[in-house]
Amino acid sequence: MKLMHILRGALRTLLRSKPRTALMMCGVIIGIGSLTILTSIGESTRRETMKRFKNMLGTFDTVIIRPGSGKNRGMVSLTNVEPSLRFEDADAIAQVPEIRQVAEVENALDIDAKYRDRAGTPAVFGVSANWLELRGDVVAEGEFFTGDDVHSLARVAVLGSDADRQLFAEEDPIGKTIRIGNVPFVVKGVMLPRGAGPAGGSLDNLIFIPVSTASKRLFNRDFLTMVIAQLRDPEQGGQAIEHVTQLLRSRHHIARNAIDDFTVTNPRAVMAQITSMGSSIRKLLLVVAVLATLIGGVVIMSVTLIGVSERRREIGIRRAVGATRYLILLQFLAEAVVTSMLGGLLGMALGIGGTQIVSRAQHLPFLIERQAMLGAVAASLALGIVFGVYPAWRAARTDPIDALRA
Amino acid sequence: MKPVAIRAENVSKTYSRDGASVTALRNATFDVMTGDFVVIRGPSGSGKSTLLNILGCLDLPSAGTYQIDGADVTHKTDAELSRVRSEQIGFVFQSFNLLPKTTAIENVELPMIYASRIVDRSRAAAALGRVGLAHRERHFASELSGGEQQRVAIARALINNPALILADEPTGNLDEAAGSEIMGILRELNAEGRTIVIVTHDDAVAAHARRVLTIRDGVLRETEVTR
Repeated sequence: MKLMHILRGALRTLLRSKPRTALMMCGVIIGIGSLTILTSIGESTRRETMKRFKNMLGTFDTVIIRPGSGKNRGMVSLTNVEPSLRFEDADAIAQVPEIRQVAEVENALDIDAKYRDRAGTPAVFGVSANWLELRGDVVAEGEFFTGDDVHSLARVAVLGSDADRQLFAEEDPIGKTIRIGNVPFVVKGVMLPRGAGPAGGSLDNLIFIPVSTASKRLFNRDFLTMVIAQLRDPEQGGQAIEHVTQLLRSRHHIARNAIDDFTVTNPRAVMAQITSMGSSIRKLLLVVAVLATLIGGVVIMSVTLIGVSERRREIGIRRAVGATRYLILLQFLAEAVVTSMLGGLLGMALGIGGTQIVSRAQHLPFLIERQAMLGAVAASLALGIVFGVYPAWRAARTDPIDALRA
Repeated sequence: MKPVAIRAENVSKTYSRDGASVTALRNATFDVMTGDFVVIRGPSGSGKSTLLNILGCLDLPSAGTYQIDGADVTHKTDAELSRVRSEQIGFVFQSFNLLPKTTAIENVELPMIYASRIVDRSRAAAALGRVGLAHRERHFASELSGGEQQRVAIARALINNPALILADEPTGNLDEAAGSEIMGILRELNAEGRTIVIVTHDDAVAAHARRVLTIRDGVLRETEVTR
């Protein structure tokens, strides 16, 4: 009952001196606003990064084996791949207990592809027939090549959606013959788009062909650029890496102290690392936002303190007509809390607007987390209490006799 | 015989200022009967204000006891004293002491908020009507004349229906007409049975009293009333 009146009275007092209230709220608005933007953008960046990696990898429940020590791996081309990962290695990896199945990959970037007078330079991926099952990609039109195609070194191709658009535009590609590096291939299917990759670029400017055909008829090399091994249990990435490493070291006869001539990674672990790091600029901004919020609290405290000394007579009057010290304390505390809560709410509104602008500019999904909003409300409440208590205590301590004499 | 409204026994107040102790009030002993109309006179610096602060439970005596309606207030806590102020005492000040950026009716409602009772706007309106300010309810205190402000202050003093009205130079800041209006209202309240204690140095105010006490250098004396 009394609390209602005190809150209403606080609101009324704040509304009666709007410029002062606005000044008091400034810091909190800016602080909570930028905190809202930073947490929301941070979270949507994290999710977008996850999504793009997932677009690229299809699934995180794999280990990926690449040739080379991993120290100087650049873009995969026809020339810069170490010939250390072989088809027989892939077969052996498939026997590791944690591994359900493996996909062999023989890929290269920027290969000339032509259909009549139209040309492009897609990435060409020679892959096993189990690619769809392992990766989770989906065929939009036609079909993917089969185990028989792989077996018979068939010259068949499945186009990524961008490659399809580039070579065929509106024309139906199924059954047409294209030339990849001057070797003719019959188009069997077209894939659904995967979306953007980690760097924001397309993951659909590519052509899939059987890995055996890629090796023997196109690239003329009998080693792999990548083996993707699907885990039986997503939690077993660590053991799988260990077992695969042991296996390959022994198969490649690597001496005890020599470094591996291959690299085994677990996408899930890499993802966890990438998303937990966050950029240092973001951390700096976060510190600045927290500081702004705290400064907002200090502003509330000092303006409320000024208010307490300006309003000594009011305090005296209230005391004379029956207010206890406690109720005076509550009154000034309520003013500080209401100010910081209003500031917090305005800051949240500002933050939501800002998030919308930033996410549009950065092509990120717009996302506001309920938890972050609750956090902002709790933070502004706490701010009001922490920075309101001292002025309120000073107000409560005011001697009514002195205050009325003034 | 009428009951005793307030009773002061050997009430003294000593302040220590800059190391030296100053006695503002010395062994004041007196009773005020319920329904009485008492004026306490004295020049400025005589200890009037100190006495009034103690009578109004804004201050506690350094020595002696002070009772309101038979209850000793000298050992009460802040919360208990606040409750006495809100329910048993109505204050009227020389400088009115209304909240400035607040309407007349909100000023009148103020003591209801602090008393343990429901805030009832119609009661506040009735109190304003009673002092002839029904048409000024929504005016801010700062928009009212001195006499009107003092009438709002009286309405505020009455809102919790206290038996005792304490007034500190209630006409001190008013012209003669407004002053006599205020004294008229106080006399009406006295006629209803409320106890009125006024501190003043104005002879015209003292002329309304049934009983006059004079304070000089912290010492209180009964003065003969010639009426």
